[in-house]
Amino acid sequence: MLDMKAISKVYQTEMVQTHALRDFNLHVAEGEFVAVTGPSGSGKTTFLNIAGMLEPFSGGQYCLDGVDIGKLNDNARADLRNQKIGFIFQGFNLIPDLNLYENVEVPLRYRGIKSAERKRRVEECLELVGLAGRAKHLPQQLSGGQQQRVAIARALAGRPRFLLADEPTGNLDSLMARQVMELLEQINREGATIVMVTHDPELARRAPRNIQIVDGRVTDFTLYQGRSTETPLAAGG
Amino acid sequence: MFIHYIDLAWRSLRQTPLVTFLMILAIAIGIGVTMTTLSVYHMMSMDPIPHKSERLFSVQLQTMDDGETWLTPDDIPYQLTYTDAINLDSLPGDYLRAPMLRSGFSVHLNTAASKPFIEDTRVTGRDFFTMFDLSFLHGNVWTEEQERDAAPVVVIDEELAKQLFGKTDVVGESVFLGERRQEIVGVTKKWRPTIKFYDLNNGSFGKAERMFVPFSHVKAYDVDTWGNTNAWKFEETRDFNDKMNSEMVWVQFWVQLDTPQQRQAWRDMLMAYMQQQQKLGRFNRESLQYSLQDVNDWMSYNDVISEDNKILVGLSFMFLAVCVANILGLLLAKFMRRAPDVGVRRALGASKRQVFYQHLVEVGVLGLLGGSLGVLFSQLGLLGVRQTYNYYAGLANMDWMMLLSAPALAISACILAGLYPAWLVCRTTPATHLKVQ
Amino acid sequence: MFELKPTINALMRSKLGAILLILQLAITLAIVSNAVSIIQDRLTYLNKDTGYPEAEIFKFNSLNFDKKLDLLQQVELDEQTLRGLDGVIDAAAVSSVVLSGSGSSGGLRLKPEPQESKSVNMGYISGDEHLLSTLGVKVSEGRDFTAADVVVIDESDTQPSVVIVSRALSDDMFGQGNGLGETLYWGADPLTIVGIVDTMANQWPKSSFGTKTALVPMVRIGNFQKFLVRTEPQARAQVMRQIEELMLANHRERVISDVTGLDQKKARYDAKDVLMMRMLMTLIVVLVVVTALGVFGLSTFNISKRTKQIGTRRALGARKSAIVRYFVVENALICSVGLVLGGAAAVLLGQKLMNWYSVPALGYHFIATTAGLLLLMSLLSVLMPALRAANISPSIATRSV
Repeated sequence: MLDMKAISKVYQTEMVQTHALRDFNLHVAEGEFVAVTGPSGSGKTTFLNIAGMLEPFSGGQYCLDGVDIGKLNDNARADLRNQKIGFIFQGFNLIPDLNLYENVEVPLRYRGIKSAERKRRVEECLELVGLAGRAKHLPQQLSGGQQQRVAIARALAGRPRFLLADEPTGNLDSLMARQVMELLEQINREGATIVMVTHDPELARRAPRNIQIVDGRVTDFTLYQGRSTETPLAAGG
Repeated sequence: MFIHYIDLAWRSLRQTPLVTFLMILAIAIGIGVTMTTLSVYHMMSMDPIPHKSERLFSVQLQTMDDGETWLTPDDIPYQLTYTDAINLDSLPGDYLRAPMLRSGFSVHLNTAASKPFIEDTRVTGRDFFTMFDLSFLHGNVWTEEQERDAAPVVVIDEELAKQLFGKTDVVGESVFLGERRQEIVGVTKKWRPTIKFYDLNNGSFGKAERMFVPFSHVKAYDVDTWGNTNAWKFEETRDFNDKMNSEMVWVQFWVQLDTPQQRQAWRDMLMAYMQQQQKLGRFNRESLQYSLQDVNDWMSYNDVISEDNKILVGLSFMFLAVCVANILGLLLAKFMRRAPDVGVRRALGASKRQVFYQHLVEVGVLGLLGGSLGVLFSQLGLLGVRQTYNYYAGLANMDWMMLLSAPALAISACILAGLYPAWLVCRTTPATHLKVQ
Repeated sequence: MFELKPTINALMRSKLGAILLILQLAITLAIVSNAVSIIQDRLTYLNKDTGYPEAEIFKFNSLNFDKKLDLLQQVELDEQTLRGLDGVIDAAAVSSVVLSGSGSSGGLRLKPEPQESKSVNMGYISGDEHLLSTLGVKVSEGRDFTAADVVVIDESDTQPSVVIVSRALSDDMFGQGNGLGETLYWGADPLTIVGIVDTMANQWPKSSFGTKTALVPMVRIGNFQKFLVRTEPQARAQVMRQIEELMLANHRERVISDVTGLDQKKARYDAKDVLMMRMLMTLIVVLVVVTALGVFGLSTFNISKRTKQIGTRRALGARKSAIVRYFVVENALICSVGLVLGGAAAVLLGQKLMNWYSVPALGYHFIATTAGLLLLMSLLSVLMPALRAANISPSIATRSV
């Protein structure tokens, strides 16, 4: 599914070069649920941005579903994002001017799906996250947990095979966090590949595979998969 | 506190230079356009003789037969017949009054060195100078005897005196009006009202005359008008004498009436005069009609303010409204973006009122800057007006009143635009923006 | 593909900014279309053919003050001098100057006074048989004046008996194409139309009767005499320069003044209209600039307010073109509403102006054209901020604030 080889990312400012990622190698197979942890500034967000094609990388090779991302232009990357990837952001990033229905509809519109089909899918996804009755509400009328569920519905609406979640429970209380996590697990069971960045060790522990990014490099905890509950994890800052 | 607000305003404006620039530009352009048209309007509508405009009256008589119409709203001709002017001038009572018309002469000194030139001349009575506030530098107006006898005398202004003789004290000198040698009895101070309100027949903004001769010269020397002569019926006029006795209108007449009693007395006299004339076969009308209008009424009756200018003033105010809407939008956007800051301020104890004032001061500063730039723009605009139409040279200027009203208008417009955004921003609840987004 | 419905919904929820833009565009349309209509009206007038080769003609005044002078003889001498000059085609002493805004007007009637009959307002100019040639006009029907037609007032008791009129005057009195040989009355005196000139403006081309002109073969001499001179085009300036000297050489005791080309005379007469046109054009230009700045400023702000959401949209798979399209469509929507309202306001303003002032009726095509151009301007002003928006990196979406 996701295959990164020797990826590097250098941020160039006037004075200094910052190596956010260096010689970054990762393979995620179809259907995996991977939790990515790491201390603040370790390169988690950079990794997520590159994985989601939100940022270009400086070196190495990145293939998503067999497509070499490095060779794509901006439009092709946008289309690929739209078709294959679903995003769940820490800040929810719902569009405040649009109601829930319209928010979930956004990626479908970019894909050019017909109105009837859009309606079916949006309703299905809102149903899935338990917010079908509030389709006409605006984001600011909802609680944080509800907003994140809408964001998940939006991520799912396009039926992506690959879901990228950035601290999906970061702004939520523990009860809400658990509900969201359960939802993700359910989606994973239904076949979607999920990569979730988090600094919450408890949350990470629930994922079948954990990787840690330290100083822009990967430490894989796949081996501990079987006894992940016992693995002492470094909590992110 | 006010100084502090000004300081805050200044910082805030500098924080978003592009938007600040756009807003200042918008208000400056709006003010520039509005003040350009408004200045011309202001000069056109200004009372030319404020302290006595309500006491000077232009006299009109309805000389035409029933059923005849004129270009005026009330169908009364603008001017009088020569006969009526002479008769009104000799009505009893010591009211200041002046029959008058515009004429002109070839003026020279009858020496080889002096080249004759044409000089517009006001032909009028002795009271003209007192009525219209002309003051004498040297000498005085011609005497009553000189007026009665049509003595060859003339009054000129200081500018003309200098042009002819190189000095102003020229009383006793002679000047030639065509062939006729006339003695200078008085030299007036320069007198150039912006609006030629006492004779609006040939354009409202023409130059005032620099030379004056007694009205009795009309008859004595066949001095014809250089202004309008209008006939309302066909009359055979073979010579100037026919014209003087005709029903053609070509003479203006002004009277100064200081009190309501005087006004009433004059009205009664006019009525009695017309009835007496009716017996002589004139004024063939059912009802006799006359009109007395003071200076300001006379100017609006004569449409001194051009239609074009009224349209332009109207359009410029609509234009200003566009600028205000423009600024309102930008301010709204700017202030709303600053809501988090305001949240912090509110949390630190700023009252709603303080936040409101802080923002109003900011838009006030904006208005002041825009207004000042606007004055500059309107000066450019007025320069353009003067260059396109030099007849408006005396009008396309800003007096101190207009200069001051420009920033005042700009600040008011900005504050008007700023009220709603400032109110919105001061309603920010401290808590909303303190949370992490 | 244009996301119309959600765009509209989004607009409805952030009303004020949109309302302000709508208001601006509406007023702008109302002002600009009316101003353009007025400009068009003045331009039509300014470009209208007066019938005269204005650049070949000039005028001057002579004010005599020698009472003993035989004025008639003097005028004839002056005319002879002028006609004999190099480069001069013809010259004539005239009662007033066409296109100058001053002169004599009156009514010509179908029946002699005091009978009631139709009467037409016109401007008239009198001169001798050189008048038409000096004005540079030709009769299209009938004949020019002859020396026998010319009546010298004060010399005899006769009145002129013939007249040459403009086509507009004869058409008005006798119907299209008629008039030659008919009789008009000046008071009680009959005048037979011996010639008709197609295009010939009078002294007040701007007035309602500006094309109705009568030429009368009459010489009436006064102390103050106006002359018209027509020259070869390239000779005019040089002839004008020597006029004063030449005339004074003929007779010293007079003043020669206002030696002015007919085109300059007309320019002075039209200066007010030119001023109005320039003012209106300036108004239009700055108004459009201000409105464009408004659209630009508000879009810039809207976009910076929505940076995060643009990033999110990009992350969700929006192509750059979709982002540009979003803002352009949003702007087009606002603009259309503003223009529809503005169209109504323009019609209303046009009617008010027409009622209050002598302004022509506002043609709907002015509104339509102006609206089209404003839409274009508005879209151009939003394009730059929209393109900048499209370049917002999708990685914004993952930043927490």
